[in-house]
Amino acid sequence: MGMLQGPSQITQCPNPIDGRPTMRLTAEQIEGIRRIARRLAGEQVEVRVFGSRLDDRARGGDLDLLLELPDPIANPALLAAQVAAQVSRLMDGRKVDVVLAAPNLRRLPIHEVALREGQTLQ
Amino acid sequence: MSASDPKPRLAFLTRVVRNECRHLLTTDQRLFDQPFSAERAETLEADPDLAERVEAFVGRFGRLQDTVGDKLLPAIWPRSARRPAPPSTTWIAPSDSAGWIPPTPGWRCASSVTRWSTVHAYVEDPALLSSALETAHGYVPRLIAIAERLASEAQGRGWV
Repeated sequence: MGMLQGPSQITQCPNPIDGRPTMRLTAEQIEGIRRIARRLAGEQVEVRVFGSRLDDRARGGDLDLLLELPDPIANPALLAAQVAAQVSRLMDGRKVDVVLAAPNLRRLPIHEVALREGQTLQ
Repeated sequence: MSASDPKPRLAFLTRVVRNECRHLLTTDQRLFDQPFSAERAETLEADPDLAERVEAFVGRFGRLQDTVGDKLLPAIWPRSARRPAPPSTTWIAPSDSAGWIPPTPGWRCASSVTRWSTVHAYVEDPALLSSALETAHGYVPRLIAIAERLASEAQGRGWV
């Protein structure tokens, strides 16, 4: 017997790239995250999910986001905190960590991991 | 006094909150006697006194937030509000604020900023660290106002 899935349930999203893991996010959550990121960081922002959300065998877990911006960010900590707070609310209080990549910020190992393993939210 | 009498606990919490407000103000004034620029953040490694002030500020800021959000507010809420308490102070929008309990916009935001001030990505990037600390510094008056308001109301209403 098939089970009905409500909009709040986690679904397996179609994987656009063969052989790469999927994201345990609903279509609504993905759209919500993109909307929040664009509103706070601008239309040119690119959002990637990395970390445990890419592991289909995991349950729950934190949400790690990388936001890439083409221009310097005046107040990066505030931007990261605002995005994390609003996405956390969207995700029913789940812990959200946001890493920023911008020309005025240092490139750290966490950025390499996020770029190598992360999936862009499209 | 019955075992379930909330007065002693509320009295204790309001004392703690007022002390923590004082401590945060002191360290806030000591750390931000000049802007915390990225250039200043670069000197942390070689300036143990400044590093200690940063640690004290981050610790005291987080402690006050925790005491207010996780202890004082949950102790006050059942006596004051007609509606169920929100899951945490991060959710107190103006519509949920039950009159005199202040809404807490930016609460989680400020919490993230101070938490991140201690993680590697921030410590290793002076631009991020200065941005985090200046943002938290800007939130200090609001945090203290919320804490003082809750403590004063509890006292004024005879709950402590």
